[in-house]
Formats: sequence, structure tokens, C-alpha cells
Amino acid sequence: MTPSTRDRTTGWLMVFPALTFVAVFSLYPAMDSFLLSLYSELPGSERTFIGFGNYAELFRDPVAHQAFIVTLGFVLLSTFLELLLGTGIALVIHERFKGRGWTRAAVLVPWAIPTVVAAQMWRFLLNDQYGAVNAILFGDQVDAYVPWLADPWMAFGAIVLADVWKTSSFAGLLILAGLQVIPDETYDAARIDGATAWQRFRHITLPLLKPALLTALLFRTIDAFRVFDLVFVMTQGGPGDATQVIQFYGYKTLFTEGRVGYGTTISVTVFVALAILSLFYVRTVGSKLLQREPA
Amino acid sequence: MNGLHASFSIAASSPLRHLSPWAAGIFIAAILCAGHLPLTHGQEVPATKERPVSPPITLHFVTWKADHPQAWDEAIQRFERAYPNVRIKREIAPHSSTAYHDLLTQKLKNRDVSLDLFFMDVIWPAEFAAAGWALPLDEYFPHGEREKFLPSTIASGVYRHHLYGVPSRIDSGMLYYRKDLLGKYGFRPPSTWNELVQQAEAVLKGEQIAQPFLRGYSGQFKQYEGLVCDMLEFVGGHNGSFLSEDGRRSNLTAPESLHAVQFVREQIIPRLATPAALTYQEPESLAVFVQGKAVFHRNWPYAWGLANDPRHSRIVGKVGVTTLPRFSGGTSTSALGGWLYGISAYSPHPDEAWDFIEFMTSPELQKHFAIHASLAPSRLALYADREVLRANPQYKDFLPVFQTARPRPRTPVYPIVSHVLQRYFSRVLAFPETNILEEAQEADRKIDRFLALVRDARE
Repeated sequence: MTPSTRDRTTGWLMVFPALTFVAVFSLYPAMDSFLLSLYSELPGSERTFIGFGNYAELFRDPVAHQAFIVTLGFVLLSTFLELLLGTGIALVIHERFKGRGWTRAAVLVPWAIPTVVAAQMWRFLLNDQYGAVNAILFGDQVDAYVPWLADPWMAFGAIVLADVWKTSSFAGLLILAGLQVIPDETYDAARIDGATAWQRFRHITLPLLKPALLTALLFRTIDAFRVFDLVFVMTQGGPGDATQVIQFYGYKTLFTEGRVGYGTTISVTVFVALAILSLFYVRTVGSKLLQREPA
Repeated sequence: MNGLHASFSIAASSPLRHLSPWAAGIFIAAILCAGHLPLTHGQEVPATKERPVSPPITLHFVTWKADHPQAWDEAIQRFERAYPNVRIKREIAPHSSTAYHDLLTQKLKNRDVSLDLFFMDVIWPAEFAAAGWALPLDEYFPHGEREKFLPSTIASGVYRHHLYGVPSRIDSGMLYYRKDLLGKYGFRPPSTWNELVQQAEAVLKGEQIAQPFLRGYSGQFKQYEGLVCDMLEFVGGHNGSFLSEDGRRSNLTAPESLHAVQFVREQIIPRLATPAALTYQEPESLAVFVQGKAVFHRNWPYAWGLANDPRHSRIVGKVGVTTLPRFSGGTSTSALGGWLYGISAYSPHPDEAWDFIEFMTSPELQKHFAIHASLAPSRLALYADREVLRANPQYKDFLPVFQTARPRPRTPVYPIVSHVLQRYFSRVLAFPETNILEEAQEADRKIDRFLALVRDARE
């Protein structure tokens, strides 16, 4: 059965606004960035076409390698912890108890705070002189106070911590949605069969939660890959580039150094990496989601 | 049915799937062409030489939120009274130098004609000149007048024999010290870094019981532009420099420079400043000093007022200031800071813009800013002015410091050079196991490559 010409025209007319929107606000900037990344531009010199020269440089650039590794470490660690904590949060706020509505709202507060504000708050909390973290841990023993952001590893840990604090509840929310579609009868049946709480969690909750977990994983990986504001506010990439993530490096080259070509090359590379990652997720994870009908 | 499932099935049947490839291609191509049409800018507006009586001209001045807004409001009102046909419209940009730079250069890249006047941090003129953003001011600013300014401030506005900025004031790194503590232990302000270390350790030892949290030194060692300034002072004090004499090559592997860096890593950070200094910019390091928790402190002139303000400081009246120490055989060096007035090359009103700059940097106005906003004048003669000195008695100690001021490398790729330097210094300070020579070699290589790229032959 083939649609008539009129149907086809109507179809085109219907998708035209959406198509225009996508083209103007997504495709055009992406294509334009790609074109820019093929040029070399420095303050005080002409813009010259260098083909994939910027990409070749990016693959040789030790600073970029380090930034990629830092970003990858951040993505793996923060995503893992957020899913773990998110599951915990979801399990708690899924239960029926007095004040659940308030608890649910309270859990979402960190997520609702703008990242820049949260990052500034963490910077103050971790301050070596007046930071609350030191005051709580060491009280009056001022000589034991730790400058948390001065040590490369602890600074990295602080960025992860701030992200986990902020976004675990978002992961929790996604997972909660998954919990709510698991039918109660399954649990009742398991109870009658004598399954313990752990067994019910291990053999019912977890398998049926998988689609929601995978969705949370997808959102969190992509988001964590683009981390910028936490680093910008808390450490400026320091000390010694230990917290310099790829987006911050791209920002520095593009806006501060004025290397438009190289900076966009970094952005385009991140964009392509994320596009591949998303495609992979949607293809494998997404198709699994469609097959798996829990009811 | 789960909501999430539904969203995926929508994605799977998205309209793009049914688009024939050629149609999509044409569509994208059309959008791209439209975007690449040459944009017309209002360049054709002629700059009128003869001043029209009306209507008034509005000059757009990108400035930052001033510490003393009343002093600035008054100065601009005075200008508008003196030049009734010119109006100044201020646009407030972020106070942080880097953030200000990013905003301003975006406007200049877009050839924004609604921008006439701006400030340049002393590290930008080379970049702005090479990019063609700043108007050369050679014809406006006579040599006789330039000689009345502190030489380093004029030098910072020059790139390849042309002048692009007029210094609004001078800023440079200086050594603050606790007069009371040095006096108690019979020390005179140190002239070498080794002396500083010895004095600080003697004071710390003597005060161990009374003030266990006293530190020897407080400076700025976070990975940011300020780190470059602090390290320039150590390297310069050891007769080293970041770039070679001719400005063509990076000079970080020179023994003087390596030794200075090693000194900071082994003596200053662990023994006197504590690793917390690796997270400090100016405000954090000043907080340590004004709370009475540091014997020595490196900062810019603005710290004087705060250190002597009872609302902020516990050490009012106990503060002395002097030139930064040197190493034996070296010369005292302080990093030059400060802001220059510049005119946008795309301004339709360069003559009126110059009137503004000339007015604001005149002896009368610099005096006004010195008295009411504590901005250290760039004009030498004002350091002998009685009213200025009555309002700022500390200027007699400041002047010798200003005379040791040295600019940071002047090259159009300074932002890149600075990032390489920041990475190098921050790495060797934060990772004590790194090999300084190897890190310096890596930084040298990268800086050399960019200097060669812009063929920045002359300093």
C-alpha cells in the first residue's frame, strides 16, 4: 500500500516546522562548527584551511589526552556512584511511609539548585580556613584542617563528590519511575513462595528495574561527559590540570586563547563521541527496552 | 505501558527516518548558504572630524564594576560637563580579567560598532594589536606626554613600535610584612628570598606557642593567571625570564629559572605557605594575612587599604610594604599589572574616544582616582603631590616597588603562553615528584611552537 501524492505532501507540510527547527538550531550549528574545525586560526594570523590538521594535533596533544582521561574517570566514577545511590534513594521513596511526599521533594532539592551555585557552595564547604567540612571533621583542631582542593587526587574526588551529591536524586527519580511499574502481585507471589527480602530484590526488583537503570545510565553518562561548570567554579582545572576535563580544555582554547579552529575541533570530537555513544545506547539498550514488556 | 517505552518508540519512528536523503541534503545546504552570506556591518559610518553641535554622540565604554563606583560616576560626570556633546554609556563586564577578556574579544571578533572604549589588561595589547582590534594611538599621544608616565606602564601598551593603550593606573606585586612581628625579632624587611625564609622560620619558631597557626608566607599559587605573576617575580628575582631577550624563544630551561621554581617548590610551599596556597587567588591569600595568620604576604596595591581597614583586618597599623625580595645576585622584580584605556578599531568616533582617554588620564583625574578610589597613578609626578600623599602616605613606599615592575611576555599568543606556564608551574608545585627540567622542556617546546606560528620576532 503506497500513500497517495496528496498524503505525502500533507506529511511533508506537517513535519516542515519541526524539520526547520532541527535544521536551524541543531544541524546548522553542528555543520558550521565542523567547517570551522578545518581551519587554523590564531590571534594575529590569517585563517587558513588545514583540512584535518586540527584533528591530527588533537590526537597528539598530551594535554588533551590527559583531559580525556580525567573526563573518562569522572564519567565512570560519578555515573557508577549515582546509579548506586539513585537506586537506594528510589527504593526508599518508593515505600509508603508518613511524610513520603516531603521526603521526595527534599531529595530533589540538590538537583534543583543551579550547578554554579552548588559548585560555589562546595568550594566554600571545602575551604581550608572556614570550610564546614573541616569544622565538622576536626572541630577545634585547626592544625589538622585539610586544604581539600590543593591535592590533585582529592580535588578530583571533590568534583566527583559534588556531582554525585547533585545528581543522584535525578537518577533516583528515573529509577523510581521504573520501580512503580513493577506489579505488586509479583512480590505477593514471591512472598507466598517464601522469598526473603533480599531474594525479592535480587530476583524481582533488579531484573525488572533494568530498563529504568539503563535509561538512567544513558542520561548520566552523556551528562557527565559534558561536565564543565563544576570544574570552572571549583578548581579551574587545577591543581596541575588534575581536574581539567575535556569541555573545560575546549573552553580555554576557544574563548581565552582564541584558537577557534582547535577549540571547535575539541567540541566536534566530543559531539561525535557522544553521538556514537547515544547511538550505541539507543540501538542496543533501546531495542532491549522495546522487547522487554514487564506486564 | 511505561512512559519510557513510549518515548523510545517515538524516536524509532521519527520523521527524519522517512526523509529522502537528497531532500535533506538540499535543505541543509540551503541553510548553510544562508548562514555564510557576508554580513554587512555599519562600517560605512564616517568619522566626523569637525565636532557637530548636535545631536550628542554616545560613546560605549565597556568597563567593569568598579570598587569605588562613586569616584567613577563623578569622573564621568566631569567629562560630560567638559564635553557637553559627548555622552558616555557604560557597559558593565565581569571584574575577572579572564572573563572580561572573553566577553570583550567576542564583541571585537564580531566587529561590534557599538563599542568605542574599553580597558585592556596589560597582557592584551599585543593580541589586540595583532588582531587589528585596538586602534594605534601614536598620532594622538605625543611623546612628550608619554615621558610623564612610569616607563613600564607605557611599555606595556606598545607592540611592534606602535602604542595601543594609555595606562589608567599602575599595579604591581609587592611584599607586605608584619611590622610588629619583624620588629619583635629584630629583623629589617628582607631583601633576599633566603633572608625571607630565615626570618619567617625564626618568627614561626618564636611564636609557636602563642600563635600555632601562623604561616610564614601567603601568596597566590592556584592554577590561574595570578600564578604566572607570582612565578614571574621569583624567576625574575633570579635574573631569569620566561622568554629569551628577543622574545622569540621560551627560556624556562635556563638554570636561573629552574632554580627559582625549585626554590618555590621546596622552600616556599611546604615550609612557609602550606599546600593550601595551591588553592589561593588574591582574596583567599589576603584573608589569611588580614586575620593575622601570615608573617609575609604578596599582593597588589589594593590589599593595603583592606589590611588597614578595621572592618576587614585584625592587623591594622601593623603592616609594612616593600619591594619583593630577590635572590642573591638577582634583581628585585614585580609583575606589572593594571589597565590601559584602548579604542576599538571599529569605533565610528575615535576622536571623541581619545578626548575621553586624555581627560581620564590627565593629572587632575588621576589625582581624583588616587584620592577617592586608591588607584595608584601611572603619572610619576603625582607621587610628589602633597594632596595625593596626604590621602595615601603609603605611596612613598609603593613608588620604589613600581619601579621594579616588569611586564609579562608581550606576544599576540599570550593567552596560550599563559596557559602553558600555568600548567607547568601548577604541575611542578602540586606534584612534588615531577622532574622540573622535563616539565620545563615540555613547556618550552609548546611555547616555541606558538611563538614561531605567529612569527612574533620582535618584542
